Amino acid sequence: MTDLRSGLWAEFLKARRSLVPWLTGLGFSLAPIVGGLFMIILKDPERARSMGLISTKAQLTAGVADWPSFFGMQMQAIAVGGAMLFAILTAWVFGREFSDRTAKDLLAVKTSRSATVAAKFIVIAVWATIATVWIAVLGLIVGAVVVLPGWSIPLAVGALGHILAAAGLGLALMPPVALFASTGRGYLTPVGWAFLTLVLAQIAAALGWGSWFPWAVPALFSEMLGPRASQLGPHSYFLVLLTCAAGLAATFAWWIRADHTR
Amino acid sequence: MTTIIQASGLTKRFGDTLAVDSVDLNVAQGEIYGFLGLNGAGKTTTIRSLLGMIRPTRGSVMLFGVPVGPGGRGPWDRVGHMVEAPAAYPELSVRQNLEIAARLRGVKKSGTIGETIERFGLARDADRSAGNLSSGNLQRLGLARAFIHDPELVMLDEPASNLDPAGVVEIREFLRTFSRERGATVFMSSHILSEVDRLATRIGIIHKGRLIEELGTAELDRLRRRKLLIQARDPVAARSALERGGYQISEEQADGSLVLEGSRALESPDDVAVVLVNAGTPPTRLALIHEDLEEHFLRLTGGLQ
Repeated sequence: MTDLRSGLWAEFLKARRSLVPWLTGLGFSLAPIVGGLFMIILKDPERARSMGLISTKAQLTAGVADWPSFFGMQMQAIAVGGAMLFAILTAWVFGREFSDRTAKDLLAVKTSRSATVAAKFIVIAVWATIATVWIAVLGLIVGAVVVLPGWSIPLAVGALGHILAAAGLGLALMPPVALFASTGRGYLTPVGWAFLTLVLAQIAAALGWGSWFPWAVPALFSEMLGPRASQLGPHSYFLVLLTCAAGLAATFAWWIRADHTR
Repeated sequence: MTTIIQASGLTKRFGDTLAVDSVDLNVAQGEIYGFLGLNGAGKTTTIRSLLGMIRPTRGSVMLFGVPVGPGGRGPWDRVGHMVEAPAAYPELSVRQNLEIAARLRGVKKSGTIGETIERFGLARDADRSAGNLSSGNLQRLGLARAFIHDPELVMLDEPASNLDPAGVVEIREFLRTFSRERGATVFMSSHILSEVDRLATRIGIIHKGRLIEELGTAELDRLRRRKLLIQARDPVAARSALERGGYQISEEQADGSLVLEGSRALESPDDVAVVLVNAGTPPTRLALIHEDLEEHFLRLTGGLQ
């Protein structure tokens, strides 16, 4: 436990002092702000028509300007955009030790390697949760400023739960990114992996196999292609958990048992 | 004397490359062990294996009698290290980098960070980002991190590289004092052979993955001795002339060269020349040689033709 505390202290200091977590947080902030802009456009159809492409895009993703549509947009932004931002954060937390050549200083110290790896995953989870809650809160502020119709407390509570669940599903797919950042010893492999899975998820969803492809599950959960009950089954969530567990096990095993030659 | 580092049959193969081949090492408490080898000889792989960073293909490592690995286990609270070029988190200050090092090494004593900063001459840069440090100060930071938890054994890969001459002397004296006063053990590799020669109490030479020679204090002293090398057209006549003149031949080399080591010959080589000329066998070469570790090392590893 002391080991984990030491690891957490070190990882949080690194995260606080780096620009990367703050930049990913800033990236997340775009979702409610852009969503609010779409809502403003949608609220005034005359103006929407006069704006051409932008208003067409806004109608495609949101449809009507109300709180349920606005929450839906945010959930989709978390499910798709969040996956990339979480991946960048994960690639940075693990990959930086290799690009900065500091990994060797984490291996033969009192704090065990497993505590260091656990601390890294905890930092990623905490940061992703903070960013998601920040989006939700910012979304509430933006929605209130835009004065959207259709507000209710149960709707907001339910939407917040779904946004957190979508973020949780995206976060559960990060251990393989951590594994690739470790085995690839840097940023390129994990970011490449994140792009690959994003593209494959779209193909799998388009072919109707999305429920069997873990990386398509967050987007389908966000009801991007229709009600989630018709898109996903228990097996979909099980596969996400299995991917998470396999990624975690492989990442821990690599740090503990691999040859660290750099 | 307690054995601190014990490696038995240490072997590491990367695919078809045999990086380290059946290396046996025994380093006792208080020793300063210099580990020499050409680039790619297997020094860093050996050090990483000793630190549990690389799993040996065969053989075993024990530090303080505790087996190292698998799984990175080892008595790491008693071991400090600096492997290859020092690195640091560039956006963190020197102080913050040391705070992380102290935390991960389980340092509890308050004031340790400040003392370490002072001891390694980093006070002026303590609050500067590590990314802006000179290579010399980055080296000092690496060394500070290795010593921050007051270890009983340190393994240092090229501790003096990047340091200016004053820094080299400073670190040499620090390591000497560290070993003498704490009874601590130092295992260091270096390309600066004169540095190793001055500091080490024992030296191991690794070449193509094999530990080809170990030199103890006596052998190192012998290496540091001066010699008078004599060559003549008739080595037999020269030898008998010198013996008649009261000189004792220490060594006769394969090419017929004669070696004198006595102080009389070393202090007055001109007298030796006179003896040989008077005997009708004048020297074709008379050279005062101060063979050092570097020469010995290069000859042994084929670096000197």
